[in-house]
Amino acid sequence: MFGFRIADAQDATAPSAAATPVSPDDVNAVAKQLWCPLCSNVRLDSCELKACSQMKDVIAQQLADGTEVQEIKNYFVAQYGPQVLGEPPMEGFNWLAWLLPIAVVIGGAAFIWTRARKMVQTPKPEDDTPDQISGMPADPYAEKLDKELKQYD
Amino acid sequence: MIFDIGYLMLISGLVLAAYGVIAGFWGGQKRNTKLIQSSFNTVYVVAILVLSASAILWYGLLADAFELTYVWNHSERALPTFYKFSALWGGQQGSLLFWCLLLSGYSAIVAFFNRKRHQLLMPYVNAILLTTSLFFLILLVFAANPFKRVGFIPPDGQGLNPLLQNYWMVIHPVMLYLGFVGMAVPFAFAVAALISRKLDNEWVRTVRRWTLIPWMFLSAGIIMGSQWAYMELGWGGYWAWDAVENASFLPWLTGTAFLHSIIIQEQRGILKVWNMVLIWLTYFLVILGTFTTRSGILESVHSFARSDVGPYFLVFLILIMFGFIWLLFSRMPLLRSDHPIDSYTSREAAFLGNNWLFTALAFATLWGTFFPMFSELLTGQRISVAAPFFNKVNGPLFLMLLFLMGAAPLLGWRHTSLSAFRKQFTIPIIAGLAVAGLVFVVARSLYPMVGLGICGFVVAAILQEYVRGAMARRSVNHENIFVAVANLWRRNGRRYGGYIVHLGIVMIGVAVIGNEFYQQSTNVTLNTGESAKVGRYELEFAGMESNREANRIEFGARLIIYDEAGKAIGTVIPQRNIYDKTPDQPTTEVGLQMSPIEDVYVVLNGWENQGESATFTIYVNPLTVWMWIGGIVLVLGVLIAIWPHPVLRRAEGMQAVAYATGD
Repeated sequence: MFGFRIADAQDATAPSAAATPVSPDDVNAVAKQLWCPLCSNVRLDSCELKACSQMKDVIAQQLADGTEVQEIKNYFVAQYGPQVLGEPPMEGFNWLAWLLPIAVVIGGAAFIWTRARKMVQTPKPEDDTPDQISGMPADPYAEKLDKELKQYD
Repeated sequence: MIFDIGYLMLISGLVLAAYGVIAGFWGGQKRNTKLIQSSFNTVYVVAILVLSASAILWYGLLADAFELTYVWNHSERALPTFYKFSALWGGQQGSLLFWCLLLSGYSAIVAFFNRKRHQLLMPYVNAILLTTSLFFLILLVFAANPFKRVGFIPPDGQGLNPLLQNYWMVIHPVMLYLGFVGMAVPFAFAVAALISRKLDNEWVRTVRRWTLIPWMFLSAGIIMGSQWAYMELGWGGYWAWDAVENASFLPWLTGTAFLHSIIIQEQRGILKVWNMVLIWLTYFLVILGTFTTRSGILESVHSFARSDVGPYFLVFLILIMFGFIWLLFSRMPLLRSDHPIDSYTSREAAFLGNNWLFTALAFATLWGTFFPMFSELLTGQRISVAAPFFNKVNGPLFLMLLFLMGAAPLLGWRHTSLSAFRKQFTIPIIAGLAVAGLVFVVARSLYPMVGLGICGFVVAAILQEYVRGAMARRSVNHENIFVAVANLWRRNGRRYGGYIVHLGIVMIGVAVIGNEFYQQSTNVTLNTGESAKVGRYELEFAGMESNREANRIEFGARLIIYDEAGKAIGTVIPQRNIYDKTPDQPTTEVGLQMSPIEDVYVVLNGWENQGESATFTIYVNPLTVWMWIGGIVLVLGVLIAIWPHPVLRRAEGMQAVAYATGD
C-alpha cells in the first residue's frame, strides 16, 4: 500500500547530480525566490508539479556547477518569462506597478497636508469641546447623554 | 418537484424584491406610511423565500439528489454529512444563494430592529438592501440556477473539492460572507442619508455597531482562512497575497478606515464626504471581491468570457459606481465640515494619517491584484504579482500604521501640549526601545527590530491607558483594580474595547514578523528510526500508518519530537489524504506542534519502499501561534466595544421615542 507515490515530489529532494554536495536545503533556498510558471501564486519550493520538480533539478545542477543565485534566476526568467519572479520586473510598462502606489502614497500625503494646513491656519471660532488628553476624562458617554437630554428638554 | 418549488421561490423573491425597491423609494419620497410598511413586509417575505429555497437545496444535498447539477458536482454519497451541509457554499451557484440568504437575513434583522426608529431613513435602507438582494436573485434565476437539472439521475456525485473538506473551510466562508454581506448595511444607511438629505450624525451613530459586527466577522473570516492555508496548503505560511485572499482583505482595509473615520465625524463634524466615499468603497470592494472570485477573471482574463455571472457583475458594479458618484455630488453642499482641524499634533490629525495609510494600502493591494490583468491585456506579457511585491510596497505602510495605532490614542483632541506630549509618550517610547534592544541582542535583524520595537511601544501605550483609566476610577470610586477595569469596559467599552482590538492586531503583527523573518526549514528524507535536526529540535521518523475513511485513505507519518535535552516533547503525524473521487489531487494535512514560542510544522512530501523511508519538509515557525490568539483577542475586543452601554441604552430608548413621536 505504501508503494503509492504521490506526484513526483520526491524528485525535488533527490537532485539528479547525486555526487555533488548540493543539499535539498540549498535548492530550496533558491526555489523560495521563484514562482511556479504554471500555477497562480505558488512558490516553487512548495509546488508539486512535475515541471517544477524539473526546475528544482535544474537549480541543483546549476548550483553544483557553481552558478550564482542571480544568474540562476535570470536563466529562469529567460526560459519562462518574468512570471517566475513573483513581482513585476522594473522595466517598461511594469514600472507602473511600482510607481503608481508610491505616487498615491505621496500624492495622498500632499493632499492631506495642504488641506490640513488650510484648516490649521484658518482662524476659528471658539467651541466648547473640552480640550483633553486621554487619562480619565469625564465619561464621554455621560457627556453625550447630557447633550442629547438637553435636546429633548 | 420540490426543486421546481425552490426555483419558483427564487423567482417570486426576485419579483417581490423588485416591488420592494420601488415601494421603499416611492414610500420614502411621498412619506406614504402604507408603502413604507409594505417595504418592511417585503424585506421579511424575501428573507423567508430565500431561506426556504436554501432549505430546499440543503435537502437536495443531504438527500443525495444527484439529478441537480449542483449536488452532482459538489457532493457524493460517501461525503460525511457535515460536508454535505457545507457543500451549500462549496460551489458557484450555492455560494451565491448563500450570499443572498445572509443578505436577506441581515436585511430582515435591520428592518425589525429599526421598525420604529429612523423613520426618514428606513424606507431607503430597505430599498437599498433589497436592490442588492434583487441583483443576487437575478443572478440565481438567470445565470446561476442552483436548481438546474442534469437531465438524468446519476448514480453518484463527483464529490466536493478535497481542499474544502476541512473543518476551517466549513466555518471560514461563513464568517467571511457574514462580514462581506454585512457591509451592505452601513452602505444602505449612508445612501439613505444622502437620498433623504438627513445628513446629521444620526446615520453615523447608527451604523457604527452595524459596521463593527460585519467587521468582526470579516476579521475572523480572514484569520480562519489563514489558519486553513497554514494547516492545509503546507508551505509553512498562512497568507500568500493571492487574488482571492486580497479580495477579502480589500473591504477589510476600507472598512477599518471607515470605522476610525466616523469617530472624528461624530466628535468634530469633519470628513463627511470622505466617510461616504469610504463606506461606498467598502461596499464596492465587497461586490468586486465576489465578482473576481466568482468569475475567475484574475486567474485568467479569458475565463471571464466563459463565466456566466461575470457580465451581470460588471453591469452592477458600473451602476454602483456611477449611481453613487452622482448622488454624492448632488448632495455635496449639505456635507460641509463643522469644525476645522486645529493642530497637527492632535488626534484628528492622527486619524487623517490613519485614513491616508489605510487608503494607500487598499490602493496598492487593489492595484497589485489587478496589475497582471492589465499587463496581460496591454502588453500580452504574463507576469505575477505575489508576496515579494506586496511585502515591499505594503510592508512599510503596515509598520507606519502599527506605530500610529500606538501613538494616536496618546494625542488629545484638537491639540497636544508639550508637557502632555512628554507625559504620554515617555513610557511607551522607553518600552519600544527596550524591546528593540532585546531583539538586537537575541536575534539581530533590522526589520524585526523596528517592527517588534513598535509592537512594544503600542502594547505599552495601551497598558498605560488602562492603568490611567483604572487608577482614575479607583481614586474617584474606590474600586479595586478588577472592578475598575470591568467598569472601563462596561461604561466606556467603545474606547477600552477598541484598545483590546488593537492588542489583538499587535499579536497578529508579532506573529507575522516571527514567521516572516525567523522561519527555519529543512528538507529531508528519513528511513524509519532516523532523525533530523531543525533549530532546537530533533525529529525521529517512527514509521508510516494508514487509515481508511468513508471517502478517502489517510496516509500518515509518525514523528517524535525531542528537545535539546533529548526529552521527547510530542508526536506529530503529517498526513497525505487520497480521495476516492480525485486520486490525482492528494491533500496535505500538516503535522503541527504549537507552542507560544514556536511551532514545529511538518509536511509529508512522499514516501518510498513501502513506507520504510519518507521525505519531509520541516519548518520551525516562531511566534505563529500569536496570530490565532490575536484573532480571538480581536473578536473579544469588538464584543466589548459593541456591548450595549447601560446608560446609553436608556438614551437610545428615549431617542427612539423622540423619533417615533414626530422627530
